[in-house]
Amino acid sequence: MEEESETETEEELRTRTEKKVKKAAQLLFFRRHRVPGVKGWELKKALGDNYLDVLGVLNSALDKFGMEVKRISEEGGTGIGEGEEKEKAERDRFMIVLKDHLIEKASGARIDDVAILSATLAYIISKQGKAPRKEIEDFLADKFPKRRIYFAIDRYISQGYLGEEDKVLYIGWRTRAEVDRKTLLDLILTS
Amino acid sequence: MKTDELFQLINFCRTIQKESTDPFDLNVKRYLGTLKQYLKKWKSLDDLLIDAEAISELAKIIELQGKWIRDRSSSFYIDPVLMELKLKMLDSAQLATAFFKSWHPIISLDRITPKRLKEGLDYWNAFCERKEDFPLPSTPETFTFGIEDLIDLNILSMTEFEDLLREVSKELGTRGRIEYHEFIYEDEFEDSMKKAYLTSFLVSEGKAELDINPLEEEVFISPRNANGKANTGDAKSIPISLSYEDWLRWKRNQRQRQKRN
Repeated sequence: MEEESETETEEELRTRTEKKVKKAAQLLFFRRHRVPGVKGWELKKALGDNYLDVLGVLNSALDKFGMEVKRISEEGGTGIGEGEEKEKAERDRFMIVLKDHLIEKASGARIDDVAILSATLAYIISKQGKAPRKEIEDFLADKFPKRRIYFAIDRYISQGYLGEEDKVLYIGWRTRAEVDRKTLLDLILTS
Repeated sequence: MKTDELFQLINFCRTIQKESTDPFDLNVKRYLGTLKQYLKKWKSLDDLLIDAEAISELAKIIELQGKWIRDRSSSFYIDPVLMELKLKMLDSAQLATAFFKSWHPIISLDRITPKRLKEGLDYWNAFCERKEDFPLPSTPETFTFGIEDLIDLNILSMTEFEDLLREVSKELGTRGRIEYHEFIYEDEFEDSMKKAYLTSFLVSEGKAELDINPLEEEVFISPRNANGKANTGDAKSIPISLSYEDWLRWKRNQRQRQKRN
């Protein structure tokens, strides 16, 4: 009888975990706010105190499809399960990203606009994370039409790839979530 | 070491902090050794305070040296001049390729749910209740141009208008009962519109009568008493559609008829 009871409990636990993983997947895949992703405290509220464990299980399932759960904070991006304190995790944002780089074309952006973003990010990273907008625009003006630069930078600010404060550009939340900055710099330097 | 030299050291430390120059330009170890050597010679409180200030500034330089090493040892450190040079050398395709190869886009989907639709409806209903708070544009007043207005605007004179009306009435009398469009359409579209306008006066004044066959979608016009019926005088409005395309069709048909004849 005891064995039966234990088996039942395990099954219940598995069912509960599966339900939580499904719920976590829905929360992360479907956009709920203007900015994609879900805050740690929201996941905790929906999934319970062990939400980081649930995300770990989801991460294993997503791995098969070349996706992963990414955690980003105001200070910078980190992977999950690195033993950071729980309070910080609640303030962080979680989202699902493609693990490997794209095989097929997945952006309708003009190549010039992507090049502007690529050069701007590399320039800012080389300047230790921030640089005056005017300086960046002047630098890019050697390669691209000025009008295109202004519009592209404004668009990338609104999309979250760049941030702007007091006419100084810095790396936006979306770049921290989506762009492997080290790879970007390596590729540019070795091109 | 004199106190002047201490001031020089303090100023040098502050310049490095302010201008972000290489903190290793200052030999901290040598200066600390010198300060240690002269420490016993300082007698006054002021000398000791300046010495303490110099030590404090040297500590800040050591902190900067630590940060400098951390920055340059980080995987993101690249000489900005080298990066600028490299970026200038690459073309758009190479820069875009580098971005795409390091890009791991967020996977998310926007969708509407029944719950969100309900929320939207509730919001709209709440908004409608408060509509008096919002200055909604007023509905433009519609009015019709009467013959008096046209006379006031000097577009027509009463004599000219009556002459035109008489001509149309005479023509209708001559042609008898006829399909409405066949009667009003002229060789020019503008003339057709004028005739339709004048014809409407004939109908209103009881000098002509409309006979509508809704099944065949035909409208016939006939002069009053032409078929022996008296006008009842009841006021009613009959909308009849007139369009440029319809007029063109009529004109094509008319040409074909003329060719056959």
